Amino acid sequence: MKHSFLDQYSNRNSLIHRLDPRSKLLATLVLIATLVLMPTGSWPAYGMYFFIIVTLILISRVPLHYVLRRSLVIIPFVLLVAVFIPFFKEGEVALSFKAWGWTFLVTHDGLELLWSILAKSWLSILSLVLLTSTTNFASLLLGLERLRIPRVMIILLSFMYRYIFLITDEAMRMKQARDSRSFRSGWLRQMRTVGNIIGTLFIRSFERGERIFTAMVSRGFDGHSRTLNSLQFGRIDSLFITGMILVLGIINLFTLFF
Amino acid sequence: MHIPDGFLVAAAVGTTYVITAGGVANALRKAREKIGEKHIPMMGILAAFVFVAQMLNFPVVGGTSGHVIGAALVAILVGPWAAVIIMSIVMIAQSLIFQDGGLLALGANILNMGIIACLGAHYIYNLINTVLGNNRRSKLVATFVAAWGSVLLASIACAIELALSGVSPMGVVLPAMAGIHALIGLGEGLITIVVLNLVMSTRADLLNLQRI
Repeated sequence: MKHSFLDQYSNRNSLIHRLDPRSKLLATLVLIATLVLMPTGSWPAYGMYFFIIVTLILISRVPLHYVLRRSLVIIPFVLLVAVFIPFFKEGEVALSFKAWGWTFLVTHDGLELLWSILAKSWLSILSLVLLTSTTNFASLLLGLERLRIPRVMIILLSFMYRYIFLITDEAMRMKQARDSRSFRSGWLRQMRTVGNIIGTLFIRSFERGERIFTAMVSRGFDGHSRTLNSLQFGRIDSLFITGMILVLGIINLFTLFF
Repeated sequence: MHIPDGFLVAAAVGTTYVITAGGVANALRKAREKIGEKHIPMMGILAAFVFVAQMLNFPVVGGTSGHVIGAALVAILVGPWAAVIIMSIVMIAQSLIFQDGGLLALGANILNMGIIACLGAHYIYNLINTVLGNNRRSKLVATFVAAWGSVLLASIACAIELALSGVSPMGVVLPAMAGIHALIGLGEGLITIVVLNLVMSTRADLLNLQRI
């Protein structure tokens, strides 16, 4: 089983790792929500958010380069959507150039909007990476459950998580078999092979689902899953969450009124 | 087209969350009514399947590669509401594990690639399959159009949300997103046809199961 791409650093030990998943989830949610609601161009506030997140990353001892590399996931969407922003916002023209017989205008307002959106989404992603690399998926789900996310969603998510590794292995075996048999082939043929791999994967997953259900029913499954509550919301958690809300609140008040 | 946090304004976040919560709750109710507690292991496993299927790349022009979304595929194979459940779990996990799609944008992402793509694919598939006479050939044609349409519909919904959030004017973002995804959707359509063809030749009985 090769799944180092998941939960790579979430079983280390640090102050942040030891926090209750509920307090981490709440803090992340508050952080992202206040950040997204911040007006365009609040640069001092973005700076302070950046400072807070980097401090937390350093305390957690998750390697900074790992978090930065993971945050690159945003690039495809930026290339698809965000790069067009400065061209279509009306306002004072900052830059204009001609290409293919068209005149392109870049406005100051557009650039400010672009940089603000990029800053906000990048900071949100950093804090999400921090959350998931300091909390393993099982305790993240436990935390979500205690925060009143519908139980059935949690069970479904934990089922999915359990079988991702198995099905990934299955897919990788098929991929290896394909790669060792077809060194180079035409585009249409490659599409057909990928489709056949996915189809086989579907049939096998479906059959596996039936077998698992039979096995579960014969062991008394009645649609509920019972777990022990092993979460401990301690004093350090209350301190952490009140501290975060206070600091973020002050930053927001300053941004809105000064 | 996973929207990250920061692109949508508060009103868009709130609205999409409310619609998505309603849609997913309805899907869960339908699944429980139709197959009882069996929906739990089944939807969970199929979600893992979609998650893995999305990791399998196929070549697109010029050295780049793409992957399927899978919404149309599961909508055709196991039914639209089951597909809504599967796609929403996949997207929650992608947001939490890979940061693919934001936490506040989750409502919008599930609405686009879950609810709109799955229900859209289901109706397109049924319509075309019925018009063409419900045989093997009509099923494959309907699959292609449904898969292509699901990608297109999801991208249009995504463009509308972005435009309403003031990221880009509607007249620009809508044709741009729809245009690009009309091309990307061709890959989705082709792969989905191959998958359906395989399932029809090896386990045709799976297609006659009760849809959810």
